[in-house]
Amino acid sequence: MADCARKGRTRDSMDKSITLPPDEIFRNLENAKRFAIDIGGSLTKLAYYSTVQHKVAKVRSFDHTAKETEGDPLYEISVQEEITARLHFIKFENTYIETCLDFIKDHLVNTETKVIKATGGGAYKFKELIEKKLRLKVDKEDEMTCLIKGCNFVLRNIPHEAFVYAKHADSEFRFQNTHPDIFPYLLINIGSGVSIVKVESEDKFERIGGSSIGGGTFWGLGALLTKTKRFDELLQLASRGQHSSVDMLVKDIYGGAYSSLGLTGDLIASSFGKSATTDKEFSKEDMAKSLLHMISNDIGQLACLYARLHNLSRVYFGGFFIRGHPVTMHTITYSINFFTKGEVQALFLRHEGYLGAIGAFLKGAEEDNPNQYSWGENYAGSSGLMSVSPDLNPMQRARSGTFDMLEMDRLERQLVNLPLLQDPSSYVPDTVDLTEDALAREYWLSCFEDALDGVVKRAVASQPDLPQAAERAEKFRQKYLHKLQTLRHQPL
Amino acid sequence: MADCARKGRTRDSMDKSITLPPDEIFRNLENAKRFAIDIGGSLTKLAYYSTVQHKVAKVRSFDHTAKDVSDLISVQEEITARLHFIKFENTYIETCLDFIKDHLVNTETKVIKATGGGAYKFKELIEKKLRLKVDKEDEMTCLIKGCNFVLRNIPHEAFVYAKHADSEFRFQNTHPDIFPYLLINIGSGVSIVKVESEDKFERIGGSSIGGGTFWGLGALLTKTKRFDELLQLASRGQHSSVDMLVKDIYGGAYSSLGLTGDLIASSFGKSATTDKEFSKEDMAKSLLHMISNDIGQLACLYARLHNLSRVYFGGFFIRGHPVTMHTITYSINFFTKGEVQALFLRHEGYLGAIGAFLKGAEEDNPNQYSWGENYAGSSGLMSVSPDLNPMQRARSGTFDMLEMDRLERQLVNLPLLQDPSSYVPDTVDLTEDALAREYWLSCFEDALDGVVKRAVASQPDLPQAAERAEKFRQKYLHKLQTLRHQPFAYGSLTVRSLLDTREHCLNEFNFPDPYSKVKQKENDVALKYFQKVVMSLEKLSWEQRQFALVKGLLAGNVFDWGAKRPWLVDCYNEWLERLKGPPHKCALFFVDNSGIDIILGVFPFVRELLCRGTEVVLASNSGPALNDVTNSELQILTERIAAMDSVIQTALKEDKLTLVQSGSSSPCLDLSRLDKALATVVLERHTDLVVIEGMGRAIHTNYYAMLNCESLKLAVIKNSWLAERLGGKIFSVVFKYEVPFKSQELKQ
Repeated sequence: MADCARKGRTRDSMDKSITLPPDEIFRNLENAKRFAIDIGGSLTKLAYYSTVQHKVAKVRSFDHTAKETEGDPLYEISVQEEITARLHFIKFENTYIETCLDFIKDHLVNTETKVIKATGGGAYKFKELIEKKLRLKVDKEDEMTCLIKGCNFVLRNIPHEAFVYAKHADSEFRFQNTHPDIFPYLLINIGSGVSIVKVESEDKFERIGGSSIGGGTFWGLGALLTKTKRFDELLQLASRGQHSSVDMLVKDIYGGAYSSLGLTGDLIASSFGKSATTDKEFSKEDMAKSLLHMISNDIGQLACLYARLHNLSRVYFGGFFIRGHPVTMHTITYSINFFTKGEVQALFLRHEGYLGAIGAFLKGAEEDNPNQYSWGENYAGSSGLMSVSPDLNPMQRARSGTFDMLEMDRLERQLVNLPLLQDPSSYVPDTVDLTEDALAREYWLSCFEDALDGVVKRAVASQPDLPQAAERAEKFRQKYLHKLQTLRHQPL
Repeated sequence: MADCARKGRTRDSMDKSITLPPDEIFRNLENAKRFAIDIGGSLTKLAYYSTVQHKVAKVRSFDHTAKDVSDLISVQEEITARLHFIKFENTYIETCLDFIKDHLVNTETKVIKATGGGAYKFKELIEKKLRLKVDKEDEMTCLIKGCNFVLRNIPHEAFVYAKHADSEFRFQNTHPDIFPYLLINIGSGVSIVKVESEDKFERIGGSSIGGGTFWGLGALLTKTKRFDELLQLASRGQHSSVDMLVKDIYGGAYSSLGLTGDLIASSFGKSATTDKEFSKEDMAKSLLHMISNDIGQLACLYARLHNLSRVYFGGFFIRGHPVTMHTITYSINFFTKGEVQALFLRHEGYLGAIGAFLKGAEEDNPNQYSWGENYAGSSGLMSVSPDLNPMQRARSGTFDMLEMDRLERQLVNLPLLQDPSSYVPDTVDLTEDALAREYWLSCFEDALDGVVKRAVASQPDLPQAAERAEKFRQKYLHKLQTLRHQPFAYGSLTVRSLLDTREHCLNEFNFPDPYSKVKQKENDVALKYFQKVVMSLEKLSWEQRQFALVKGLLAGNVFDWGAKRPWLVDCYNEWLERLKGPPHKCALFFVDNSGIDIILGVFPFVRELLCRGTEVVLASNSGPALNDVTNSELQILTERIAAMDSVIQTALKEDKLTLVQSGSSSPCLDLSRLDKALATVVLERHTDLVVIEGMGRAIHTNYYAMLNCESLKLAVIKNSWLAERLGGKIFSVVFKYEVPFKSQELKQ
């Protein structure tokens, strides 16, 4: 069945363009039984639960009483079909929502599904469209509850979910170990505005603060100042600007540092302070940069104050202002370091964009107790974190028309720490972190590439009797090669 | 000398326009000896210390053998210290420096203390013009020093702003302990400073989103370059057309998170996705809300983190701008759910200059003295509410002044106040009571002709009395008019402040004591009857005498005595019962009028107390006010009475009767600003009874004052309007005897 879904493939590469047929993206729809949708200001995130039928190699012991001839194997191997649960999450621009709904309708076989859980500001706006297209009742779930549920889920189930961003370090991303106890933490969600949420347990959270100076302010003020209407372009402008031509620095007022107050000369005394009294024209880049600093610093200070007030040391940042944008991750990280003097680290999440959809899905799936199981990220079906650093990979800035996917397999058994570990929170299974060791990375990537031919041969040889073994092995080769190439450019 | 400085005057009114000759503004420059200057981004604040020579009426006792009455009073010159603060736009700095140079006589002055961002820029100009060395002082230190000074010395310095309330400004009482507090200075950026003591402060936070951001972003968005114009635009705008509200996202409130629909979800959020043009007004308003809310939240968080409840706001973003005071107040209310109040300061613009001056004057120990705002020389707070008074928005070319007199003696709280921090001297706050305000303003206006006549009559031999009296009339009339429009100009408007302003204005034109001759005559007449009155009282039975003594106290207040009991407030029976008990240890008596009141009312009453074994402290005004008996007059009168009466003589000799000065020159009484020596005596003698007499001291002020010992407040209401307000008729009697709960309990 899973294979059926793949029949439509016309291309093998995981190109995320809209030209990709939706069945490449909405996989396993036939068995999908729970839907959830999170519609934000610009992106839609769809989640569904499905089952995957796939082949597993089973071994069976022989009857020990029978005396088989010499040379007979100890046990028997057979390839069997097995069904496992999988969570699918797909992210796409709101523009494609109608096309996507049509595709889902056409492929939705399971008639048990009666409702779709919906969250996000857009849930209200698209309610009628969804109900008309899918003939499913839209069941609205509280946005913040979904966000927090999703956040708890990824923190618990995805190793290396959280990371610290360090622009000038060898590896931009420093992944954090999964903490055995994820609570309490602070979540700063920077969407149009900012919500500051204290999460104390699976079911207990409180919006302890917020600010109207958020992503919408950067976007809105940026659009007014630079006549640039696209958020991504504004970020690009900002990354090229010099804030000091627009901002009034401490040294602009005092000729240097204001030492008795501990203020360095380069500190921003007044955002946009220079435009108050100067008549000169400012460049779009400089204004965008000044705006970015203003907003990031403000959020950073608020986050730091709320963290101190509530005695919290783990602070996660999310929302579209952050989502995969190295520029904002950098300014937020800088600001947090400045205000907490390094005591608090700004943490970001790889799957931050999916939190609402994951949470909405979990709300709808509570009877299946998804939190009772352990889940594992399926690297084959997931797009992974993209480096959107404009210098590194300018092409990827144009995110429109891209589909991003996350797939998670339900593991047979619940996984926990080995109770004998001395310090579970500092335990790192891997001996060498290839993201931080460029030489080692290059060696191992080439090594795996070189070994690929052998693996393909071995795969084909293992299924002499099964159909299209050579064909499938070739698909495997191409997919793995593509992953290796991706990892060479984006080791994270 | 002081008169010389005034010769150059060409106009009498205190019009603050730049056309006003600078000698009207830079007063008393000849004696100026310390200078400090605070140069901000647009305004310069100059401070100097000077001395004022002015006439005071002195009374001198006769040689008891002589009988010449008219020699009793003489007008003498007295020198008092005064602080001058002048604020003007930087544009006028050169003109002002030239004027100062030309008039600076005192050659001892070698340095000028300077602070503010502009101190650096104008250093050379100042040194060249004034030939004074510019000595730079740390800006933040000056700001904090200045803030401490005004909070400690100026009553009603701090206020709460309430846009839609009856009175825009709600002034706060001076707290005995001003520390700790949080100062949020919103200049170009924001500094958040925690002040723990006179010398200990710390900048605990700050933000780059401040006044410069409003100005800078506002200029870019609206092409309006002037800060004031931006504020005006903002006050006319609708932020909701630019901001994304909660209801724009969720169709209404986000109830589970407690977010109302009208809450701003994203400042400028609508301009992110809409292509329409936004009006300048709307963008300015949105910007103003964005910045005010942000600062409000930061202030609230720092206050909570450091457990501080008093939060003062200052800096050019705030300075007298109702629009920003309103948005900041709103934001603080929102974020602290009303737990913290945003406080503003009347003299906030002067803090840096005051602080720099204090730094330079440390050898003179200005903090050892008490200072009082001189209402005659100070401009007062202007209402710059664009709706109220659109003309005043154009502040350019205006000079604003603050003058503070050094008071002879240090002023402290009366130690017997039950709760000094909640004590409010005034009975009616005229800023909040429009009807009462209108009545009293008219009342003072109507009485002005009489006061002018009296002033002229008081100085038959002195030059230009009529001319000076006319100047006084115009100045006071102008003050009354200002107060009619801006009742909050000098803090809460009260009958006391109206009376005090009149005294300050009279002094300003050298009418130190218009009633001196009247008082002299009345005292003289009354003295002749003293022995007769005492003799007739001695003949009465004990109970009859007690009632006659109380009547005597009240009769001094009004000649038309005929009120029948029960009085409007009548605690006489309780008082009589009390007198049957053990004597008081010590009575503190705040006396009122000269003449019959003090001599035939107070002294017989005091005499009875002394006979009962109660020590008596007589507190009288330090300086003249209306026909109130002053401390120096009372000393002479007491001597004369002692010569006639052995009880008084013995009491004086044995130190059972003490005369102290109150520290006040007002017909009213502020129990939180009393002479330190008085407070010491009160404590030493274990005072357990306070007597306050007269309308000014017992009705206009202190009617509701709670003391932690027994008290008598007595007066005859000689004003029909006020009597009606209190539920009585003119000449109603108030005899209020109060026993604090604590001692009532002890008795049982």
